[in-house]
Amino acid sequence: MENLTEVLQLFLSIDNFIAIALGVVIGVTVGSIPGLTATMAVALALPFTFSMQPVAAILLLVGIYKGGMYGGSITAILIRTPGSPASACTLLDGYPMAQQGNAKKALKAALFSSVIADFISNIALIFFAAYLAKIALNFGAPEFFWLICFSLTIIISLASGSMVKGLLAALLGILLSLVGLDSVFGSQRLTFGNYNLMDSISFIPLLIGLFAIPEIIEFYRKKVIPHIKAKASGVGMTLAELKRCMKSIVRGSLIGVIIGAIPGTGATAAAFISYSDARRRSPNKANFGKGEVEGVAAAEAGNNGVAGATLIPLLSLGIPGDVITAIILGAFMVHGLTPGPIMFQENLSLIYALFLGIMFSSLILLVVGNAAIKYFSLIADIPKSILFPIVLMFCVYGAYAVNNMTFDIWLMLAFGVVGYLFNRTGIPAAPFLIGFILGPMFEDNLRRSLLISNGDMSIFVRGPITWFFIAITFGSIAFAVFRFFKDRNTKLNADKLTNET
Amino acid sequence: MSSSDLSNVKRIKDTLDVITGIVLLVVSLVLALYLVPNYIGEPSILQNPMMSPRWLPNIVSWLILAFSILLIIQGIIVPSDTENDERKIVKGPYRRFVIMLIALFVYVLFFESLGAILTGILATVLLFLAHPVRVWWAYGFAIAFPVGVTLLFVNVMNVPLPLMPF
Repeated sequence: MENLTEVLQLFLSIDNFIAIALGVVIGVTVGSIPGLTATMAVALALPFTFSMQPVAAILLLVGIYKGGMYGGSITAILIRTPGSPASACTLLDGYPMAQQGNAKKALKAALFSSVIADFISNIALIFFAAYLAKIALNFGAPEFFWLICFSLTIIISLASGSMVKGLLAALLGILLSLVGLDSVFGSQRLTFGNYNLMDSISFIPLLIGLFAIPEIIEFYRKKVIPHIKAKASGVGMTLAELKRCMKSIVRGSLIGVIIGAIPGTGATAAAFISYSDARRRSPNKANFGKGEVEGVAAAEAGNNGVAGATLIPLLSLGIPGDVITAIILGAFMVHGLTPGPIMFQENLSLIYALFLGIMFSSLILLVVGNAAIKYFSLIADIPKSILFPIVLMFCVYGAYAVNNMTFDIWLMLAFGVVGYLFNRTGIPAAPFLIGFILGPMFEDNLRRSLLISNGDMSIFVRGPITWFFIAITFGSIAFAVFRFFKDRNTKLNADKLTNET
Repeated sequence: MSSSDLSNVKRIKDTLDVITGIVLLVVSLVLALYLVPNYIGEPSILQNPMMSPRWLPNIVSWLILAFSILLIIQGIIVPSDTENDERKIVKGPYRRFVIMLIALFVYVLFFESLGAILTGILATVLLFLAHPVRVWWAYGFAIAFPVGVTLLFVNVMNVPLPLMPF
């Protein structure tokens, strides 16, 4: 009872409601603008949360995340340009529907399935996070060491594109995370005598540099693409249509939950799996790809089902599942909190206040999403030549605000160039960021294990939990190697076929 | 270029991967052989070599070296998907890019001396001119946004920013 009062006291604050509403609005707005991503918005919003209460700060970022997931579908449906990679699947049926004059129906289908999937995902988060955290209380340093190894390998093995590049990105991230004073001996590591680097590389300039600046550089480097006008016309979705899509929405949501709970898989995979599952089971399968409302609903359910589930490994184990949860982990740290099983013991009220806020965000998404269909499609009409200078201003202000130092602006620009080079060379930025976050945890748990065991290496194979994590770590490496050779053979065969032709 | 040179280039399936691999190979060699031994201090007595501040950077450097070699090999033997290659962009005029660079330097060099508002206005106007924005009223945003956002940071969010040069 005492806990409940504390939870309600923490949650029932006007700041929290404003933060959720504002977060969802920002997320939907940014998500509906092609070129601006939810990741970029979460990174840019992080400096604004410094002076906020932890619950309101996290809810603002979660709101942006959820709003961004739905916002991406607006432009996918209206102008065939997904606002986020995960919305790419939505356009398969959404855009043909818009061409047939049913844009409003497609947008409503996307909204309702997003909200239902988000709700189911939140329920999964509430049930599984606490359960997983309870199990994780039995973990010591060696178990966490292997858990981090597994997280690193699974993120790399499931990352899109080249596995070698994913590994290189993660290694570069780990290397950069080690810059600064060594936590055990206090010796300087790659600081080159620069006192600004002694306290390690600042997370926020790195984040903004890596995810916002490359988009800006690219925009001014690239040839101008003609602007397409967006228009949401036609009639909305009927209750009968929603009922018809319900099975696909629920199945898609569950697919999203399962995929989201595994670090590294992401919303794009969930959306495509959910879509293909719905197509396989639907009596209207012939209409899929030609403007089938069930296709839009399934894709969006898979996409949004991931949102709550990605928070499961973050809150219960302290392991970020994707880039946005990595940024949210940074926000926790800025506010002096460390997600993981200990947080469930020490800050249980805060966690349940967060859960309430996350549930409430689904409702806000429904309200904001409805308005978005009418008005937010107009946002996609704002020229990027006006938007990007303003985004750059937010980047600079945000980077400077961390430590009130121009050095951080330099750092942000340097990482911006790194991010741009990553884009140009096809090196993924997500494993780099995950490596940067998990690197210190990896080293810390390794050293703690060695200290506990007085240097005895057998501590790393001390029991069933470590054996389990060792098995799944090597399993994910084996999967990555298998995928590497499979991709290589596919490409070689395709090349051979082209040459023969 | 002689015919043998041309056939060598043809033999490489993804030139960009090979170049990236070579750059990373050089970086990893500099790291492993020069930066880690010279710029990471190590205590004289260690309970276990794995406790050393140099241990993880060393391992990571050698792993980068190994994977950069793998990337070079991948670039030589695995062809790139030329049609769906997201790495390639159609470049626009250089003038626009140069103005953007100037705007970035305005932020870095004058942020503390001129203050957030003036540098914000200057850089935003430069970026509007770079593309260029031809709607005159849009330039009002170039003034309104830096003023509004700076005041939001300073007065509402309590995040201190240098306001003005005086």
